[in-house]
Amino acid sequence: MPSLLLVIFGIELVVQLVNTIGANTINGLLWRIYLSLPTPLSLEVAAQRKKQKEYLAVRHELNATSSQDQFAKWAKLRRQHDKLLEELEKQKSSQDAARASFDRYLTTTRLVSTRGLQWFLPFWYSKQPMFWLPAGWFPYYVEWFASFPRAPMGSVSIVVWQMACAGVLALIIEAILTIVGFVGASRQKQKQPVPAAGAGSKKDS
Amino acid sequence: MAALINVDDDAMEPTLQTILDQRSLRWIFVGGKGGVGKTTTSCSLAIQLAKVRRSVLLISTDPAHNLSDAFSQKFGKEARLVDGFDNLSAMEIDPNGSIQDLLAGQGDDAAGGDVGGMGGMMQDLAFAIPGIDEAMSFAEVLKQVKSLSYETIIFDTAPTGHTLRFLQFPSVLEKALAKVSQLSNQYGPLLNGFLGNNGTLPNGQNLTEMMEKLETLRSTISEVNTQFKDERLTTFVCVCIPEFLSLYETERMIQELSSYQIDTHCIVVNQLLFPKPGSDCEQCTARRRMQKKYLDQIEELYDEFNVVKMPLLVEEVRGKEKLEKFSEMLVKPFVPPA
Repeated sequence: MPSLLLVIFGIELVVQLVNTIGANTINGLLWRIYLSLPTPLSLEVAAQRKKQKEYLAVRHELNATSSQDQFAKWAKLRRQHDKLLEELEKQKSSQDAARASFDRYLTTTRLVSTRGLQWFLPFWYSKQPMFWLPAGWFPYYVEWFASFPRAPMGSVSIVVWQMACAGVLALIIEAILTIVGFVGASRQKQKQPVPAAGAGSKKDS
Repeated sequence: MAALINVDDDAMEPTLQTILDQRSLRWIFVGGKGGVGKTTTSCSLAIQLAKVRRSVLLISTDPAHNLSDAFSQKFGKEARLVDGFDNLSAMEIDPNGSIQDLLAGQGDDAAGGDVGGMGGMMQDLAFAIPGIDEAMSFAEVLKQVKSLSYETIIFDTAPTGHTLRFLQFPSVLEKALAKVSQLSNQYGPLLNGFLGNNGTLPNGQNLTEMMEKLETLRSTISEVNTQFKDERLTTFVCVCIPEFLSLYETERMIQELSSYQIDTHCIVVNQLLFPKPGSDCEQCTARRRMQKKYLDQIEELYDEFNVVKMPLLVEEVRGKEKLEKFSEMLVKPFVPPA
């Protein structure tokens, strides 16, 4: 079992990343990865794409046929078109159901492994000290707070360590995002030089 | 001796003889867009069927009844023999009359005075409900299902929209009644506790009796549903004219019928023009050209159907004799004079 310090840090990191990137984006990415694996579901999806292309071809042909002049051909195309449309709708709804259940599974796993562990680990290791504070550096009440609730006096408890990780990571990620945003905005400004002097002088004369 | 390959073996005959030959057929619907000749065709088909069956009933489900005009004889909500026939009867269902009977019947059971006031309002309400015509026609069908007095029943239906709604009626009603019976099974004992030992509802009827009636109604309706979906018992004859809108309507109707699993394998194309070769009538030749175009499309699209071609006659097809002459062309294909 890797050091508890690193485990807690890792969990907080994951939570922050998920909050930044967004749960839906991650779900979408994982869904695409899942589809690229050779499962029966991915074969279905491939078959549906083919059917969709077929459907578009039939619809194109249908629109090109005049219903007045070539009624028989038009009617046969129309029957094909309606049948394909019905099949596509059915497949789409079943695939949406599969996607929904996949998302549900992912969300449950994610929540159990992050929030679940966030609750469970402090509970299980509540008495274990994370690391020891150097003796005499901090006054009594600080030491009492650092060991809250049940770690031995003079050490840092798991709860406090968790809070500290969360806070630091939030600050770091916010700083990174601000820097990235600033760099991106300044690059945008460089791409569009402001035509200030030229236009102004032209107008005057 | 070389074997002769008859290519026409697979081609469908352009007559309605198959309907006359199919003895198991009980329900025949004749439908199509307005003004194409449904009433004429259904009356002609009834006349031909009466020659080969024990007894035939012709029912008009169109609220704007035409049977009386076609046979020049007044028909009503009771089946009446058509003049000149001994096994052909006709009926025009009148929703107003049926509802009055219903209300009058209820009035007899309960106190006469109460119903008088309520009856008027209920009547007005009942006439306004869309689908009441279909419901009344369907009630008639239910009666006929039980009694076996007629061997074949022909429906002269209303223009397409109404007919399709009528045909959906069994399924819709069956589902509704299934729900009601499920609810009554769940809450029946509770309601019985409220209503006392006899289970009398405020309007004087017994709850359990009503539930039993609904249950028998449901089984009858599901029987009708099964019969309509059985191709040996039910078929639909589509009537059309060789014009775009009518053709489009027919195609739509055929697709919808197949989605309801109701068999259809006959099409009657009416009002065909056969102008004389030397004719100089612009309209006739132009119309003939247009009709020919659509007729070719019909033959190509409906190659598995019996497509009957009926000519446009120079006089109206009304009255027994003219209808009989017209009906001959349903079974013996019309040959235009050369």
